Amino acid sequence: MDLKRFLSLALCALFLFSMVGCTESAHVNRRDLGNGWEIESSMPLQYATQFSVDYYAGGYKLICLSDNSRFLIVPEDAEAPAGIDKDITILHQPIQNIYLVATSAMCLFDALDALDAISLSGTKAENWYSENARSAMENGKILYAGKYSEPDYELILSSGCELAIESTMISHAPEVKEKLLDLGISVLIDQSSYEKHPLGRTEWIKFYAALLNKESNAEALFVDQVGFLNEAAAQENTGKTVAFFYISTSGYAVARKSGDYVTKMIELAGGNYIFSDLGDPETATSMVTLEMEKFYATAKDADFIIYNSTISGELKNLDELIAKNELLRDFKAVQNGNVWCTNQNLFQETTQLGRMILDINRMLVQDDPTVTRLNFLYKLQ
Amino acid sequence: MESIEIKRRARIWIVFIALLAAFFILVSLNVMLGSVQSSISDTLSALFGRGGDMADILWKIRLPRMLACVLLGGALALSGFLLQTFFNNPIAGPYVLGISSGAKLTVALVMVLVLGAHKSVGSVVLIGAAFVGAMISMGFVLLISQIIRRSAMLIVSGVMLGYIFSAITDFIITFADDASIVNLHNWSRGSFSGISWDNVRVMAVVVIVTSCLVFLLSKPIGAFQLGESYAKSVGVNVGAFRVALVLLSSVLSACVTAFAGPISFVGIAVPHIVKALLKTSRPLLVIPVCFLGGAIFCLGCDLIARTLFAPLELSISSVTAVFGAPVVITALLKKRARS
Amino acid sequence: MDYFFSTKQLTVGYNGTPLIRDIEIRLQKGRILTLIGPNGAGKSTILMSITRQLKSIAGTIYIGDRSIEEMTNRDLSHHLSVVLTERLRTELMTCEEIVETGRYPYTGMLGILSAADKAAVREAMKLVNVADLKDRDFMCISDGQRQRVLLARAICQQPEILVLDEPTSYLDIRYELELLDILRDMAEERGITIILSLHNLSLAQRVSDDVMCVKGETISHYGSAEEIFQRNLIHELYGLTDGSYNPVFGSVEMKRPPGTPHVFVIAGGGTGIEAYRTLQKKRIPFITGVLHENDIDYQVAHDIASCVISEHGFCPITDSSYQQALEKLHTCDTVVNCLVEYGEINARNRELFEQARLLGCKVVENVATL
Repeated sequence: MDLKRFLSLALCALFLFSMVGCTESAHVNRRDLGNGWEIESSMPLQYATQFSVDYYAGGYKLICLSDNSRFLIVPEDAEAPAGIDKDITILHQPIQNIYLVATSAMCLFDALDALDAISLSGTKAENWYSENARSAMENGKILYAGKYSEPDYELILSSGCELAIESTMISHAPEVKEKLLDLGISVLIDQSSYEKHPLGRTEWIKFYAALLNKESNAEALFVDQVGFLNEAAAQENTGKTVAFFYISTSGYAVARKSGDYVTKMIELAGGNYIFSDLGDPETATSMVTLEMEKFYATAKDADFIIYNSTISGELKNLDELIAKNELLRDFKAVQNGNVWCTNQNLFQETTQLGRMILDINRMLVQDDPTVTRLNFLYKLQ
Repeated sequence: MESIEIKRRARIWIVFIALLAAFFILVSLNVMLGSVQSSISDTLSALFGRGGDMADILWKIRLPRMLACVLLGGALALSGFLLQTFFNNPIAGPYVLGISSGAKLTVALVMVLVLGAHKSVGSVVLIGAAFVGAMISMGFVLLISQIIRRSAMLIVSGVMLGYIFSAITDFIITFADDASIVNLHNWSRGSFSGISWDNVRVMAVVVIVTSCLVFLLSKPIGAFQLGESYAKSVGVNVGAFRVALVLLSSVLSACVTAFAGPISFVGIAVPHIVKALLKTSRPLLVIPVCFLGGAIFCLGCDLIARTLFAPLELSISSVTAVFGAPVVITALLKKRARS
Repeated sequence: MDYFFSTKQLTVGYNGTPLIRDIEIRLQKGRILTLIGPNGAGKSTILMSITRQLKSIAGTIYIGDRSIEEMTNRDLSHHLSVVLTERLRTELMTCEEIVETGRYPYTGMLGILSAADKAAVREAMKLVNVADLKDRDFMCISDGQRQRVLLARAICQQPEILVLDEPTSYLDIRYELELLDILRDMAEERGITIILSLHNLSLAQRVSDDVMCVKGETISHYGSAEEIFQRNLIHELYGLTDGSYNPVFGSVEMKRPPGTPHVFVIAGGGTGIEAYRTLQKKRIPFITGVLHENDIDYQVAHDIASCVISEHGFCPITDSSYQQALEKLHTCDTVVNCLVEYGEINARNRELFEQARLLGCKVVENVATL
């Protein structure tokens, strides 16, 4: 009897696992409205692959995301068209009272000067890098609505919110998404973290611009960043190697996966990421925990170290770095004084990625020892 | 001696009525209080009259959450009572047989394998995974109980199973990204947030049916209060009873773990409180009052958890621990003093 | 003759290892069977196997002509109830509630007691004199009271067979007697068959109809109380070397003081017992006479005196006995006369005492001074 129960339980488990929604990653498809309307034009995208925007007659825009979600932006005072596909979510302009959880989107909103479209935030005031965001929260223009996994539904509902912009973390807490939908709030999941190219992330400014009807601002900003990138890319590969990591509280070295956008930034800046084959390109994780020996063997000879301070805080000097792990003393970059540290808010600066690449390039290229502070990096001494 | 009998009956009635009153008060408080304020008349009209935001808040957010507290709180208390009686151990609780570790394991598996590969799942999958994990854990315990016939050893094997599952979960986590780890950690803190009416429907069926079955087991539970040997001598089928007990208490705690994550201390503390109030351990009385007590306990703790530092929610387990741990410690001290 | 309770080739033990083999019990209805034997011999093992708390290794147990193997726990509970030796730890249960669990086989699905059930509980509690404890918490009464409550519980289960494992081990003498008395009543008046194990031999002798001696791998003896309670048998069963057992009263004496006796005790009619015991405690060997064989002093002297000069019961002391006593008197230097009055048949003890004085023996009034 027990064997039978066991088998039936195992079968149940298998069945449940197979019941998972199969979503293909990376590419956007099904860009058709379903009611026979013809696309007038599409937003040109240089680097972004995780979204698409198609324009229809009458000011309608269809936004498709790589997680197969689709949103139709309906102009103010216009009606939603008949006969469109059922899975398309309708959003009426002007889009306001947004509940913003995706932290990387905040600076995009800030750059677009569209902070007043946001009324609720999933991050507390003091944790925002953007000054404007922080003061908006302190002034009560934007309210804190609880963590992404346990939002204050009552507050969200009573504030008249219609759209929640979540990060991919929400996929681990599906009941929150379901609850929000149940309350009549549309949920949009920011897919920019899956962009392979760093400027692909920056290009998401055009995505939010489409939501907010600020396409022209976006274009200008983006062109700037492309300019910085080109400036960096114009130079040759310096041949120098860079290690980008942090030491976790349990003493492990955590580095970025090879091929992830940070490592791409390093490549574009003319450097070479020291770990050539780290991590599984198929999975969505971006960080890889390294066992000390492997880390030591590979990273010891890196010409430069950029310490990732976004997780556990900025370091003040080299001693603090070495205090995290004695072995670092032997690293070539440490001995040559080529250790740099990121500003803690690096990942919130999505609009400046082009500039960041230029910064990395400057770090690699310049040999003036008095330069210890760049826009986004500073030297550890 | 009649007066003693009268006093006892009176006590039981008083306790019961007082608990009912507390129950209704807490239900009302849970419906009326939240991060959005509204007057009593507004609340009442929103509940029964027109729609609007307040009605949505009440019907879609507060009511399902309140019902979840009642059902799951009662389930936890019953589960704890069953295990404490059977093992004659005052700190036995719903998770002593390793159920929550099994559930955490399957949830971790889903999070790491499925979500880690950039797929998305509905909450049904996570709920189902937790339930399946709990049941698999229970299956192991039942298997072991066929081999090890002594009840005391069952607790030990349950605890060992819990450790084994935790070790496997830790192993799985090494391959997980930070998002999975954070979310698994969030899941294991337990929470009543985000309960939907669909959830409540399923919960109601499972919990109510199982609780009725537990009530029907009052007679053998009463015999078991004298220990396994005497229970056997009055005709209890000890083997079948053991299976039924493990099954019922596991289903109850699996249900809680699936929908709200592991919530500790309710199952351990509430039976002690109830028995101390009623001053009797007669199962026919203790079982329904335990259910009521568990509901009250969870309603109170959830109210505190979600309103004390709104919009931040406290972890429900930390609130239940603050109230529950002193109860357990007192019970242990009293038992030591007696022996 | 049809036996009510019997076992055929019953072998019992733990974990498949046989402890005692080939147990054959043949018990009639309404009889009391007591198991005696040294500690650890296996008495509890047998009782646990009979009640199915422990699985028997081989053989069959019959109630009437039904084997208990084919009965469910439920069936068996209608026929047999138990009082176990384990210490119970209950929580918040009154004595009445404990006794009520005995009605388990007769109550309905939720275990609610009917008026008849409640009456049975009351009656059982009255029978064992625990009626006034009914509302007290079980854990707050004395061991003796608890034992009686458990007996009440077993009684109100209305069994045909009652099995008790060392039921008197925690009881004072008063409660021991009371409990065994109740058991005898059950057997005589209600025809309940009782099987129990006892340590106290004299009580076992008084309460049992049949006795089973458990020692070693098999049952060494099985029979009626009269057959079993014999001096040699008991001595062999318990390996008595430093003491003796008197089956007449079921009493025991400590061992005989060794050495050559120099004290002569004149006694009779029960007057000498105290002196004998005192001398025995002081390890002083002694001779005593002339005692009649139907005198109670004789029973004790027989076990602890170095030498007893005796005479046939009901007869006056003969010359030969007198002479024997006199001879022995010459070997002693101290004399104790316990007698205060003399009758026809022991008149010559007065002479004996005179002789002792004339011989120059030291006369001791109080043996304790020796």
